[in-house]
Amino acid sequence: MGPEVTLLAAALLLVSPAEETLGEVASKVNARLVKIYGSGGVKGLPGYGTGILVSPEGHILTAANHLPDSSDLRVHLADGTRLSAKVVASEPELDAALLKIDDKTAAGELPHFDIAKASKAPLLAPGTGVLAFSNQFQIATRDEPLTVQRGVVAAITTLQGRIGVFEAPYSGSVYVIDAITNNPGAAGGALTNRKGDLVGIIGRELRNDQTQTWINYAVPLGATVASRGTQGRMLSLAELLEKKEKYRPSGRPDRAGRSGDWNVRAGWILVPQVIDRTPPFIEEVEANSPASRAGARPDDLIVYVDGTPVPTIAALRDILEKYRPGDKVQVEVRRQDRLQTLVVELEPPPKPPANPPR
Amino acid sequence: MAAGTRSLLVLLAAALPIHAADPAVDSEDRERVKTVARISPAVVAVVTGGGSGVLISEDGYALTNYHVVGGQGPALRCGLPDGNLYDAVVVGLDRIGDVALIKLLPREAGAKFPHAVMGDSDTVKVGDWSLALGNPFLLATDFTPTVTFGLVSGIHRYQYPERGMFEYTDCIQSDTSINPGNSGGPLFNTRGELIGINGRGSFDKRGRVNSGVGYAISINQIKNFLGHLRAGLQVDHASLGAVVSSSPEEEGSRPRVLVSGLISSDAERRGLQLGDELTRFAGRPVGTVNQFKNVLGLYPKGWRVPMTVRREREGGGTETRQMLVRLMGYERQVQGEAPKPPAPGRPKPPGNPDGGKPAADSPAMKLFEARPGFANWHFNKLARDRLLAGLTAKTDLSSTTGDWVVRANAKLGEKGREGTAVIRWAAGTEGMPDRVMALIDGVDFTLEPLKTDLPAASLRDPPGSGGMLTALYHFRQLMLKGKSGFVGESSHGGVEPYYPPLEKEPDDLFKARLDAEIIRASLGGVDTRFQFTTGQGGTRLAGMESVLDKEEDPCEIHFDDYREAGGKSLPFKISVFHGGRPYCRLEVQSWDLK
Repeated sequence: MGPEVTLLAAALLLVSPAEETLGEVASKVNARLVKIYGSGGVKGLPGYGTGILVSPEGHILTAANHLPDSSDLRVHLADGTRLSAKVVASEPELDAALLKIDDKTAAGELPHFDIAKASKAPLLAPGTGVLAFSNQFQIATRDEPLTVQRGVVAAITTLQGRIGVFEAPYSGSVYVIDAITNNPGAAGGALTNRKGDLVGIIGRELRNDQTQTWINYAVPLGATVASRGTQGRMLSLAELLEKKEKYRPSGRPDRAGRSGDWNVRAGWILVPQVIDRTPPFIEEVEANSPASRAGARPDDLIVYVDGTPVPTIAALRDILEKYRPGDKVQVEVRRQDRLQTLVVELEPPPKPPANPPR
Repeated sequence: MAAGTRSLLVLLAAALPIHAADPAVDSEDRERVKTVARISPAVVAVVTGGGSGVLISEDGYALTNYHVVGGQGPALRCGLPDGNLYDAVVVGLDRIGDVALIKLLPREAGAKFPHAVMGDSDTVKVGDWSLALGNPFLLATDFTPTVTFGLVSGIHRYQYPERGMFEYTDCIQSDTSINPGNSGGPLFNTRGELIGINGRGSFDKRGRVNSGVGYAISINQIKNFLGHLRAGLQVDHASLGAVVSSSPEEEGSRPRVLVSGLISSDAERRGLQLGDELTRFAGRPVGTVNQFKNVLGLYPKGWRVPMTVRREREGGGTETRQMLVRLMGYERQVQGEAPKPPAPGRPKPPGNPDGGKPAADSPAMKLFEARPGFANWHFNKLARDRLLAGLTAKTDLSSTTGDWVVRANAKLGEKGREGTAVIRWAAGTEGMPDRVMALIDGVDFTLEPLKTDLPAASLRDPPGSGGMLTALYHFRQLMLKGKSGFVGESSHGGVEPYYPPLEKEPDDLFKARLDAEIIRASLGGVDTRFQFTTGQGGTRLAGMESVLDKEEDPCEIHFDDYREAGGKSLPFKISVFHGGRPYCRLEVQSWDLK
């Protein structure tokens, strides 16, 4: 017993590296972070944010807020190098977006976090000390290092947040931290342990649903979340980062949640219902369906059903409940800047499969 | 009951090893408690204005924010952790840097104040711990400071000014809680050394309370201004006289700072050109506009600092040049009331009837005298008279009212051609006014400084000297009559760097500088700055600069090699420079003072 204990202690000493000062930790982490610039500057939406380098080729993990929607995205590396970037995938349901820098000269050997390893690490326990790195308030420019704050994990809980009147799309587990990270530009920053190992991505500027207070939270790297848009599917941050492409959950999509095939079938597949107010955009039109026969096209926005406005997917579902298979319904869609009138003859919904996918 | 006991035991078992786990943490905690006890007595609650401050000397000088005491009048009331209220007076003000120097009056004459030790804020690193002490929300009616503890989140931060004021350059960012009332209070490192003055934060949506982002003015910046502040000045910050901008943004580019505009300025006269790349400024490398603005903000108007530029050479290649540039002023006249800074708000005094305004007959008013351009003329007069008394102690020429003659061997011009020089100050007599004459290598120049309608050229005689005779006239006025030798103005000008002429230019001129106390004097439309070193050898006139026209280079005279002659300490090396070039260097053979 005794010798074994000694051996174990020796092994621990060998694996734990010499203690780094917080300053050394900060500069190590900083080299793996970027400043992101895009559209913003209005209505409290900052035109800047923070990102985490996750591949030597320049993949950048950041928050899925308004910033990745910018047409002109730029990033500044830690050494001040200025590069443009494109969105690989934006996944609001994971609260995460993946960018990639365009430039080829800088790519290939960029310092980055090993996400595959980090996302498998167990969750930090509440009370664990953490550091939060971000470009909040755009304090740092070019090669200036980001802001570092210290805190502890106050709790691990599920997010119930709001962005203004909207419900936050992410509903998975979060670290609630006692450092004040809920500031403009902090989203997409890095939450690390006190040794500088990446443990999470700093979230957006949200308010708590119940108390209306600002939440300082970060999404753990191992986050998985049940998709609301594709019911029954699990989305995983690790999988998004591993595939580095627009996240498509494996398996057949659950048509009941997504296609609009409720009590009647039109044959259009709508965009995922990410929030309560998601408008009824048509993402795909199934071949040989009532919708395709009526001339519906992807990207059409359904505006009226028999003269009643349908601002949301939920409203569309409510109104279609009044119809029966065989009814003809007049649907106004907005296609580019014009309204088109389509007449859709509704069909019975398909029979649910015997073993619904889980 | 039994179950309750068991769970309590489990809790204890879980808690004990954690507590005992890291003795280093324990000892760090104990050290911090000791440090707080040591530094707390120096923390000031600035009751008038509702902020904080910190004592920096045993005679009661304390630092706070301009936005705390600005607009409150010269007399203040301050509380110390000993529970007492003190009268205090505003001494010096820095509106742009948001700093104010105040002086607390002891309750008993001669009593000494506890005070903080100033650290070196250039050694502060990201990730260091920091302590903020102060009086947030005016919580402590007995003036015991509130202590908050946090991480240094960033250094060399630049925070834009608001309407020309409160520009925080090269400041320290920390996540240490800063709240209304903390303004002006000290930020300490864990050794208890003063590293900054808390004054600003980034606030967004929660009001002016702690957002995890506070800024402290670095103590090293304040040290540069302290000589000015102690002299009762209302100080101005610096501008370069050139516009710099980031290099054209190219994909994949690293930032560079290029000169993109120039106005008539010392920088232009020193040879700065459009397109020059700025690489160093005041001893610090510069790679971004923010870095440049950070360094520029550290210095007062009028300071001379070296700067290095890289320039494309004709025919390929680049050359680097170091130039010593005199900084221009920054402040545009900001009219009206001070704008509200993005600082923690001003807390409402919680029913403290005697706290607010001092009485009109405050003893502090005895230490105040108003004068335009000065925060407190009383302290300027004190500083000026002390400096001139130091000069007289070593070299009292007040009784030598007759002619003065200096004979010297001269090295003339840049090439140092050998020659001789005789300088004669002729005292005015009946029908013959004061004259300054120079016989340089056989050529005679004479200036009658009191004559009106002097042609501009004769004020600048000898040609190429920039006005040596005029400057030497001011020299005699100072040495003979002191402050009364100048009808225009004579005041203390704070502390500036002084660069003695060196045989070989050092790689970093900034390291070759000496601190000089300045007397500003004005006579006949000519402004002179006398530069004094006050080292171990006593107060010595090291140099002087006379500005005949603000659009021109001054005439610079350096005095060195002081020796005892006739019971007086006199310079035996006198060199005259103009526009950065030597006009003559004199090895004095004899001083003849009558």
